[in-house]
Amino acid sequence: MQTEKHIAAAFDRDLEAIQAMIMKMGGLVEAAVLDAAQALDTRDEELAERVRAADRAVDALEEQINAEAARLIALRAPTATDLRTALTVMKIAGSLERCGDYAKNLAKRSSVLIQMSAIGDTAGGIRRMAKAVELQLKDALDAYIQRDVELAEEVRRRDRDVDQMYNSLFRVFLTHMLEDPRNITACMHLHFIAKNIERMGDHATGIAEQVIYLVNGAMPEEPRVKGDTTSVTLLDGSQ
Amino acid sequence: MNDMRIVERDVDTNENKITARGVQVFYGQNHALKDVDVDILDKTVTAFIGPSGCGKSTFLRCLNRMNDTIDGCSVQGSIKIDSEDIYDPKVDPVQLRAKVGMVFQKPNPFPKSIYDNVAYGPKIHGLTRSKAELDEVVETSLRRAALWNEAKDRLSSPGTGLSGGQQQRLCIARAIATSPEVLLMDEPCSALDPIATAQIEELIDELRSQFSVVIVTHSMQQAARVSQRTAFFHLGNLVEYGETGKMFTNPSDPRTESYITGRIG
Repeated sequence: MQTEKHIAAAFDRDLEAIQAMIMKMGGLVEAAVLDAAQALDTRDEELAERVRAADRAVDALEEQINAEAARLIALRAPTATDLRTALTVMKIAGSLERCGDYAKNLAKRSSVLIQMSAIGDTAGGIRRMAKAVELQLKDALDAYIQRDVELAEEVRRRDRDVDQMYNSLFRVFLTHMLEDPRNITACMHLHFIAKNIERMGDHATGIAEQVIYLVNGAMPEEPRVKGDTTSVTLLDGSQ
Repeated sequence: MNDMRIVERDVDTNENKITARGVQVFYGQNHALKDVDVDILDKTVTAFIGPSGCGKSTFLRCLNRMNDTIDGCSVQGSIKIDSEDIYDPKVDPVQLRAKVGMVFQKPNPFPKSIYDNVAYGPKIHGLTRSKAELDEVVETSLRRAALWNEAKDRLSSPGTGLSGGQQQRLCIARAIATSPEVLLMDEPCSALDPIATAQIEELIDELRSQFSVVIVTHSMQQAARVSQRTAFFHLGNLVEYGETGKMFTNPSDPRTESYITGRIG
């Protein structure tokens, strides 16, 4: 964060309060992702239910952040870094809210999957993927609060690993479905879960890009790396 | 996507009106302006911002040689308007000031009628040959200053009887009556209410089609609203000069950043 203080101390307090809300929101979303994946892996219906209920707090925080940012823009007419702070908190809050929704959806599908027999160790694979994405979110938010462009760049690069985890899970689901059509229902749910976690990784990357914009005043120039190849994958798994 | 950007802040021309190189100003021992280089565009509003005592008004006053009237003030370097050096000994400062009009912080109409306030400049510079011609200059100037409709039925009443905002528009009409090429404004809205300020700002934007306008303002929001180019002065240095949108979203110099975000006074 900028170390130099505003002459108007209340301006600093407003900016700090908004950013504290982002960190709080980030903490809730990270916990939701981990808990939802754990609920799936350990077949913990109660935990899944708690994740679903906790999403309301995330939604409320997004609204609050947007309202505070609008107020800051109206009352303080922020410029330069202050303006970019106001703009990025709104975008980051939007990304986190989406991640929260995905986590809630994961928990919902977990409640259904718990009633069915497990598909190999795919729940474990999903949990590892969720852990990787949670770490991406955590590092993206750390990069935000530290104004650390290098860490943000690293988060962007790591999205490729998540994409690759998703690709291999996708192939595993295909195999299970081809082997036994009775696996289709469970595999469809699991596939949506894996896809949603992969989308969370994209949101984490988006947050990292907001950090770069906040610090440099411009979005990163090189396009983000794409590792998700499933949209061009055929049924037999070849490309 | 570049063609879909907001084009409003585009300048009409890239031709320089004023070229300043290595300008130094001393008030006795006080080094008020340090080695300023700047190119001011024609048909563009350029805003000078910076804390009090940063040299922005000093530089503005160099542009029509108003500093000549201050004892102990010396100006070094070169300032050219249309490639003519305004500090050349052959240049008559009175003629220069007809070409470079100025509007001040507080409206200062002459204690004369509205008509005479506007007619004064063209009369002393002998710009008109007949009463009819003078009438026309007065009318056009008042129209361009957006004051004609309010003043046309009371041209012979004293200028000092107008409201603050109207007086300031009268001063602008007076400044543009001599057909200047550059219009300097030193905090033209600081004594006005928000409505009168908005009217003057709208007027400034219209005047830009004919003049190069240079405005000194303490209101950064005003600089952001009216100008296409902004120059930031600090402790006698020109710290940064560039496109206004860029200056207010992503300035290059940390001192500019600190000032526009309200971190240094």
